[in-house]
Amino acid sequence: MSNTLRPYLAAVRSTLTAALTLEDFASQVVERHNKPEVEVGQSKEVLLNPLTISRNENERVLIEPSINSIRLSIKIKQADEIERVLCHKFTRFMMQRAESFIVLRRKPVKGYDISFLITNNHTDTMLKHKIVDFIIQFMEEVDKEISEMKLSLNARARVVAESYLTTIRTHCLIPRFAVHLMNNELHGETWYGAG
Amino acid sequence: MILLEPHNYIIQTTLAEKAAKPGYVDVQFVDFDGVRFKLSTPDKKSATNILLSMNIRCWSELVKYGVNEVLRREYGGLVLAQPELDYDVSLEINLEQLPPEGEQRDAQIKSIALLKRNALAAPFERAFKEQKQLEASGGSQGELTALHYRDEEVIYVQASPDRVTVIFSTTFREETDRIFGKVFLQEFVDARRLPTIQSAPQVLYTTREPPLEIRHVPGLVDSEDVGYVTFVLFPRHFANADIASATISHIQLFRDYLHYHIKCSKAYMHSRMRYRVSEFQKVLNRAKTEVAVVDRKTASGRSMMR
Repeated sequence: MSNTLRPYLAAVRSTLTAALTLEDFASQVVERHNKPEVEVGQSKEVLLNPLTISRNENERVLIEPSINSIRLSIKIKQADEIERVLCHKFTRFMMQRAESFIVLRRKPVKGYDISFLITNNHTDTMLKHKIVDFIIQFMEEVDKEISEMKLSLNARARVVAESYLTTIRTHCLIPRFAVHLMNNELHGETWYGAG
Repeated sequence: MILLEPHNYIIQTTLAEKAAKPGYVDVQFVDFDGVRFKLSTPDKKSATNILLSMNIRCWSELVKYGVNEVLRREYGGLVLAQPELDYDVSLEINLEQLPPEGEQRDAQIKSIALLKRNALAAPFERAFKEQKQLEASGGSQGELTALHYRDEEVIYVQASPDRVTVIFSTTFREETDRIFGKVFLQEFVDARRLPTIQSAPQVLYTTREPPLEIRHVPGLVDSEDVGYVTFVLFPRHFANADIASATISHIQLFRDYLHYHIKCSKAYMHSRMRYRVSEFQKVLNRAKTEVAVVDRKTASGRSMMR
């Protein structure tokens, strides 16, 4: 873990733990409604001050607490075009499965890549510190995953380009049977495997 | 499978099967670049005659570049003067006239399976010949041949006294494809720095901006999604017939090869994401408190179901 990541995650962890003091709170506007106040936003007095934790200009977390719910939005690092696409694909993939990730929001808050919405129902049925663990682990691994995907893309591109150009070259230099040998070598490589 | 094969697998297997055991056949199938094939028995009474027809998008251009001569050279009397309706070229294969089972027959079937490759080879062969002429006569530039082999994509081939330039224009339908394509093409350019592949043809690529050779061509699409890949083939890449044919088979498949691997890496990313998301799911499941499921019994001792 790099030097700036540790305090960043520690700050998110303690802020989130402190903010996760939720209680059941029925809507003051509509009778018999009970909604996450941070999403509805109709009673100003139950919303608390939103808070941003930034690691640098490209990576930050926004925590918006309220009396019965808390919204946490993450901006993931995207250094270049490839990372942007990979990040978009990955978050989209997760958000499409939001119903199995109970605390995940289907759409991110504007300006962020992925948002979580934790309500008092979630803290009642799940262990609070484990929810925090999940979010911290997500933040840790999403960067790692994106950079690994980028590396694997580059590695594949290299092998693809080299094997294509090698075949053209070998046709020009050495007799046919050697080409088959080289192809066999390439096919035998195991970089292809998933995991 | 890293490299794609130039022959059509369906033609090869179907013909081999029918040659071993003649029978009625009627299949239609497709190949890369929207090429359509039809294998059929025209006369229902005799199963030994098989008709193979091909429809290819740029046939009228291929005719200009001498595809008929190439096919006549490769297939001789098999080519029908009048192709089947809706198709551009038809081969009539008499199964009884195929050589006996063994290597020879396999070779002949394989050559039939190379129909698309041979048809598309015509402009390349012409350019290789032209280069030899230009080199001997000291001319300047050969004619720029354009092959509109897909709806929006074109292969340009041009001979010069010292080289043959092959330019592919390729469009990326999707943002992800475009970005992945860029990574792949950059690797094609960089790969030549390796000492072992220095003798491979030089590769250049640009996005949006067409290369100088084709800048005067009307109707080029000006968009971020269009990429141009240039291969510079030197005389050593087509020094003799064997090398030239191997180079042609390879170069033709470049576009398919590139897009095939872009799709492959997308599929790989997808499987990775699937795995990673299921890992996250496990972490979140640890947060759920165990709800003890007790088997409730009625007074008579039976399980109570709700």
